[in-house]
Amino acid sequence: MEKLQEINNKAALNASGALSKLIDRPVKMNITMADVRKVEELSPVIGPEEIVAGVYLPVTGEITGAALLIFPKESSFNLSDLLVRREPGTTRKLTGLDKSALKELGNIVCGSYLTVFSNALQVKIIGHVPSFSFDMFGAIVSQIITEFVQKSEKALVVEIEIIFELKALKGYFLLLFELPQFNAILRSLDSV
Amino acid sequence: MMENIEVNMGDLVVTKNQDKLTTSAVGSCLVITLYDLKFKIGALAHTMLTDRRVSHLKRDALDATSSSARTREGGNERRHEIRDMKYVDAAIDEMIKKMVTQGANKENLEAKLVGGANMFPALKSDIGKENVLAAKKKLKEEGIRLVGESVGGSQGRSVEFSVASGIVTVKIKF
Repeated sequence: MEKLQEINNKAALNASGALSKLIDRPVKMNITMADVRKVEELSPVIGPEEIVAGVYLPVTGEITGAALLIFPKESSFNLSDLLVRREPGTTRKLTGLDKSALKELGNIVCGSYLTVFSNALQVKIIGHVPSFSFDMFGAIVSQIITEFVQKSEKALVVEIEIIFELKALKGYFLLLFELPQFNAILRSLDSV
Repeated sequence: MMENIEVNMGDLVVTKNQDKLTTSAVGSCLVITLYDLKFKIGALAHTMLTDRRVSHLKRDALDATSSSARTREGGNERRHEIRDMKYVDAAIDEMIKKMVTQGANKENLEAKLVGGANMFPALKSDIGKENVLAAKKKLKEEGIRLVGESVGGSQGRSVEFSVASGIVTVKIKF
């Protein structure tokens, strides 16, 4: 899927620019992997009980679904250090300010991806106001699945890496759509 | 011999052994446990939705994955009542039926509920709340006592149900 690669490159570039502006320091976002998977198959990557920071944006427009950005607990602490300008390694608990900063970061990353995705496929996709949760991965992701789609739905899984000051923090970006729409997207990714 | 049985989302298990029934990371889903203390028979269901909440469009999508939703009779495909264990009502019916088959007495049954949270408090989502209400209504209709609950809020929960003692342990992460 060359088209997907192209989308990833552009989205990474956009997000890097926007994040650097937000943080006022050079920050780079890479996309290290993008794959269509069943949502349950994510669990080997992140255990269901593992604590994660999740930013969720409902997606509407010509296709409906959900965008979810996930950072493992330690990554979310490191990102908080960066976002609210603390000494690296000092965040051990997320304050209201941290949560709101992470939400904004999620908004930027998800927004960049959705914009590029929407332009490339020429479909109208609107990302809505983000919500934040810091809890078990399984509890977060199952609510999104229940909210929008059926069990064992497929998702586009994008592994991202945020690089700053020699640190590389891994995160995951999930895009879920209702099944017929998802299949149509896969077809257009193949054909364009 | 005691076993640890993990119950997946949308599934239920009934057992009369000394087993532990567990299920992890419950968000808006609702875990329902039923227990017959006298005969030491226990059941745990990890439900996702009330069917009332599901729109027709979504219900069609859900049915398409459920093998029990359709059967062929005389060459005509006929839709049957949904007996899918991801639904609160259907799961409670099935638990009672299976428990009675294994020797439980319906009059002895006691229920506990865990889950029904909203993981994104900023989001106006009633899935969790509606699951809890649907379960309480159904239990009342069936005349089953609700003896314990840890529901609502915005926290994920993991559940362990010891069938030997009837004790349900709820773990939250912080």
